[in-house]
Amino acid sequence: MPEPIIETYELTKYYGNVKAVDHLNLTVYEGEIFGFLGPNGAGKTTTLLMLMGLTVPTSGTATVGGYDIIKESREVRRIAGMLPEGAGYYEDLTARQNLDYIGQLNDIPESEREKRIDELLEAVGLTKWANTKVEKFSRGMKQRLGIAEVLIKKPKIAFFDEPTIGLDPQGTKEVRDLMTQLNKEHGLTIFLSSHLLYEVQQTCHRVGIIRGGRLVAADTIENLSKNIAEKGRMVIEFKLTEIRSDLIRELEAINGVTHIKRGEDNRLYVYMESDRSREVSETITKHGSIILLMKPKEHSLEEIFLKYYEREA
Amino acid sequence: MAGAITVCRKELADHLGSKRYIVLFALILVLSTLSAYQGAEYIKDNPQAGFIAVFSGARFGFSFTSLMVFFGPIIGLSLGFDAINKERTSGSLSMLLSQPIYRDSVINGKFLAGTAALSLLTVTTIGIMSGVAMSILGFGPTLDDASRIILFTLLTILYLAFWLALGLLYSTVTKKTSTSILMSVATWLFFSIVIAIIAALVANLLVPITMPRDTSGGNIAKILRSPEFRELLRRRFSIQMNIQRVSPAYLYNEAGASILGISGGRLGFIGPGGGRPFKSLELIEGLTASWPQITAIAAGLVICFVASYVLFLRLEIRPGG
Repeated sequence: MPEPIIETYELTKYYGNVKAVDHLNLTVYEGEIFGFLGPNGAGKTTTLLMLMGLTVPTSGTATVGGYDIIKESREVRRIAGMLPEGAGYYEDLTARQNLDYIGQLNDIPESEREKRIDELLEAVGLTKWANTKVEKFSRGMKQRLGIAEVLIKKPKIAFFDEPTIGLDPQGTKEVRDLMTQLNKEHGLTIFLSSHLLYEVQQTCHRVGIIRGGRLVAADTIENLSKNIAEKGRMVIEFKLTEIRSDLIRELEAINGVTHIKRGEDNRLYVYMESDRSREVSETITKHGSIILLMKPKEHSLEEIFLKYYEREA
Repeated sequence: MAGAITVCRKELADHLGSKRYIVLFALILVLSTLSAYQGAEYIKDNPQAGFIAVFSGARFGFSFTSLMVFFGPIIGLSLGFDAINKERTSGSLSMLLSQPIYRDSVINGKFLAGTAALSLLTVTTIGIMSGVAMSILGFGPTLDDASRIILFTLLTILYLAFWLALGLLYSTVTKKTSTSILMSVATWLFFSIVIAIIAALVANLLVPITMPRDTSGGNIAKILRSPEFRELLRRRFSIQMNIQRVSPAYLYNEAGASILGISGGRLGFIGPGGGRPFKSLELIEGLTASWPQITAIAAGLVICFVASYVLFLRLEIRPGG
């Protein structure tokens, strides 16, 4: 059982009368990539700012790496790094100077700092631009510099807030690959806040869905998908060469099959209470039709997401 | 504290490399050297004036003090007005505050760096002025002169640091640098031009100068020499002076004159050469006389800095800046 590394207890933040985060209870385990999913304005960024000690919770508390986010926020910032949304850099300094400043603020001794800067510039592919002023950088390059700034302190936990927003597909892929690699090779726990479902599905082990400042679900995508499907139900999608009406009648007669839905292009969706895929395919073949495609229908993250939203609403 | 030193080092390097600072530094240096040259020439002709007259530049009434009265606000404000809000808009502030430092290190570091840059400017300028004057005159300041110069240097740094703190306050209360730069320029204009106009207006309202209808040549001269008229002028001057004392620049001018022991120090950039630079006050007397002004400037500095400190510590970093 992995150890919890981030735990929040009834974490709440009001901006005036507006509830940004509402009694949030959340656990993130060591070594995982946790996807924090929600639409714009759901409270994702506010949660991150509270965890890093940049803003103070109205009530509730949390621990990050065992440190209290209010009383020991400086310790939290020692072991955790954050790449905020719209992070900025010192434009008139070079990439190396920017990294060096952040390194100094983390009390990394000079010789060690230089070594780490070289390694990191290499890792994020900025070695060639090490001595170029950041004002000349593209968004993707700045984002990679930001990741390097997060990593220079060798954090146990990294918070990334919408890290691929505004990047082109190439840049997006590079950032995602980098996150996955860091997690795999260095065991870095990553807390990824995003509203991009595909991104979360691609990279995260577990997701938490936040809505109106409340956590509505937190689990692996598989489990969320299972929970969303009505109990014991499964759907299999078939594509056949031909569909005759008596085939449908015969399929419906199979014990355990609840109903059949016809789709475009000679497709059939067979809804079953228990797994009857063998009987179903035998019946189809018996009728002289050939199965071109057969696959269990999975819930896409989008469906899961929307389902959880509807359920709450 | 370690955080504050790191921030200070970085900010100081930024200042020293910034066009803004270099341009202002060069301007002050050139004008001051010129005024030192004038001062030295004056001392040559008036040997009783003493070395201190270098800083009064008596010949054209354009002295280091008057330079600082006029340019001081803009030098100090320009190093502070975008210290916080620039980083807020660019997003580097949230990156900076995600590091393991206390939040006050940021504002302390920035203030220290600004003060260091201002001190460098002041010390260099006064040093070069003294050097120029010494090479022209062939003699240096006496011990008394030297102590006055040191005290005057400290006063100038304090005065510039006040404007820096005000700029820092502006950068903390406003979100955009365009707003804080406007506030800075407005402040500068107010204290260097507007307040003198207001003071003159108020004086005119309270103590109007009434001229008799009969103004034949001889009469005017008589009136101007009459004790009543002199009393009138004195009252007007005292009203103007008291209003202008709202301005830290005016206070600085007064304190500077007292410390240097020069009477007839004047406000304003270039005026007719009316300064009569002779030592009128002993060092201790001068210091005592300037104490209220020094206290007022220091109090202003502390108020501005504490206000920006408190506001910065309470600043909410919100999503989207």
